[in-house]
Amino acid sequence: MRIFTLASRNVFRNWHRSLVTMLAMAFACFIMIFFASLMEGMMQGSERSVVAMNMGDIQIHAPGYRDDPDLYTRIENAEALVTEIEKQGFRAARRIYGYGLLAANMASSGVQLRGIDLKQEMQVTELYKHVSSGQWLDEGDVNGVVLGKKLAGTLGVELGDELVFVGQSADGYMANELFRVRGILKSVSDGIDRMGAFMPMQTLRDLMAIPEGAHEIVVLRAERTTDLEVETAKVKALAQGQEVKNWKQLMPVVARMIETADVQIMIMLVIFYIAVATVVLNAMLMNVFERIHEFGIMKALGVSPWQLVGLVFAETFILTLVAAIVGLVSGWWISDYYHFHGIDMSAIAGSITYGGIAFDPVWYAAVTTDALIYPVVFLLIVAAIAVIYPAAKAALLTPVKAIYFR
Amino acid sequence: MLLASTPILAEELGDRDRTSHILNIVDDLWRGSSSYAVVTMQVKTEHYTRSMRMEGWSKGKEKTLFRVLEPLREKGTMTLKSENHIYTYLPKTDRTIRLTSGMMMGSWMGSHLTNDDLVKEARLEDDYDATISFEGLRDGRNIIEFTLTPKPDAPVVWGKLLLMILAGGYTPLLENYYDEDMQLARTITFTDMKQLAGRERPSVLRVVPADKPDEYTEFIYEQLELNIPVNDAMFSKSSLKRR
Repeated sequence: MRIFTLASRNVFRNWHRSLVTMLAMAFACFIMIFFASLMEGMMQGSERSVVAMNMGDIQIHAPGYRDDPDLYTRIENAEALVTEIEKQGFRAARRIYGYGLLAANMASSGVQLRGIDLKQEMQVTELYKHVSSGQWLDEGDVNGVVLGKKLAGTLGVELGDELVFVGQSADGYMANELFRVRGILKSVSDGIDRMGAFMPMQTLRDLMAIPEGAHEIVVLRAERTTDLEVETAKVKALAQGQEVKNWKQLMPVVARMIETADVQIMIMLVIFYIAVATVVLNAMLMNVFERIHEFGIMKALGVSPWQLVGLVFAETFILTLVAAIVGLVSGWWISDYYHFHGIDMSAIAGSITYGGIAFDPVWYAAVTTDALIYPVVFLLIVAAIAVIYPAAKAALLTPVKAIYFR
Repeated sequence: MLLASTPILAEELGDRDRTSHILNIVDDLWRGSSSYAVVTMQVKTEHYTRSMRMEGWSKGKEKTLFRVLEPLREKGTMTLKSENHIYTYLPKTDRTIRLTSGMMMGSWMGSHLTNDDLVKEARLEDDYDATISFEGLRDGRNIIEFTLTPKPDAPVVWGKLLLMILAGGYTPLLENYYDEDMQLARTITFTDMKQLAGRERPSVLRVVPADKPDEYTEFIYEQLELNIPVNDAMFSKSSLKRR
């Protein structure tokens, strides 16, 4: 305890240098916390863009459908399967797809029609909130469709405009129908933007002559904190004979990007703290050299080398602790601020797409325990390592030489 | 009248002229300079079987018009091929749509032919270099087999074609389509000789995709008139709606 009293006095004795050292460490800690929570925010935001917008956590298809989206490759007992999956606490929605040509005036484009079970879908994805103009689908408006952003541009249509669809229905006849543009989506993903057309499920069933079954079932975990792999296995057990994949398997590029964000944080952390370590090393080394005379006298008075090491460590510990608290508080505060306000990147980047997925241009920070604790722990460790050399230097002094050191 | 004199004529011509001469005859079997035909199309796939009766007009190789007569559900549906574009008129919605390039590999009317087949329907001689790869008896019939390889700049999706015809009368028997990897993609067989437009012609064309041997599309000619006057205006987009 006496060492701590002594150490704190020493810290205050040269308060200029102590303040500068401490501020440097606090600043590094602050920046790291902010950076880490921004990265965490990006990871969470990306996952939300992928999962909540369209993919869901887990998707079920009939075997082979993903390689060759054939009208006839359907999950036959889809309705029962959804009920069963929901019993396990998941939320699930059926979807059916059809392909063909959508034309307006003289412009036309190949489209992917998606028939949506509106009630189920709302439980699973947030697509319905993502309408940029007009309205989301409604069961009552059977021929009102919602189009992807680029598709609406290609066709040159606005709300209320007429669309003609031609395709081939499951019974081999020409499917054709008039639709009306009910809504236009914001940017969701490459595929949907370019060729997505959404309609109530029954409309598409009638159009394509698909009385039952589904091409896709999208499943959402009840709790985001549960292990995705475990949950996937649970769904797999329910959907025997079907292909069950989670979003990380379906979108490996995006999943990889999100996983590597962790590594990025670590790399930044290391680079930052090497700089901090040199600052600490420098300050403490100066400190020790300046006080060689003093240490010599202490040694002559019977202070043991280990006590001197303890003293130097205690001084550093006090500085680091204060720096960590300042850094933590300020870092927490700024992360929390950006957690609610977000950084609008749309002015710089427009719409951000990666791996075919459009990401929310407003970047929010996420305050997680990891983002708060890692920078602080790292700071303490780095400071402790950096001070080994100055402390050893002080401990190994010979008293006589040190006393006469000038 | 031309047909009667062809065998003698062909022998007098050089090899190259002879192949092109025969190919022209084969091409002209159903088209001529203009034509009118009533055809029943039967499609059998794993998932459905359907039959459709239609009438069609053609002029040159660029212009073709089909109109569905039966079934009632699709009556009046028209497909117009003019130059390199395909338009579809749909009576149910009363709209005309131009098919985009993205739709070209899609099935035409649910058959095993694609829209692209319709656009690329070409005269063999224009797009292919032909050589006679076999001549003589095969399976008890005296045949000539042509190997047709696409010309370098020809807009053709196939790797090569094998065409087998009867040596007497130059009646086609079999046409094999190979894709760019030289794998058999589909086979068209010509059967049921019948009196059509003043001569014996195969009246049934059966298209069988190589990867689905149980499926087929059959075109059965009921009526055929060749080299008749056909008005150009018929092949315009605006005429689709008026019919």
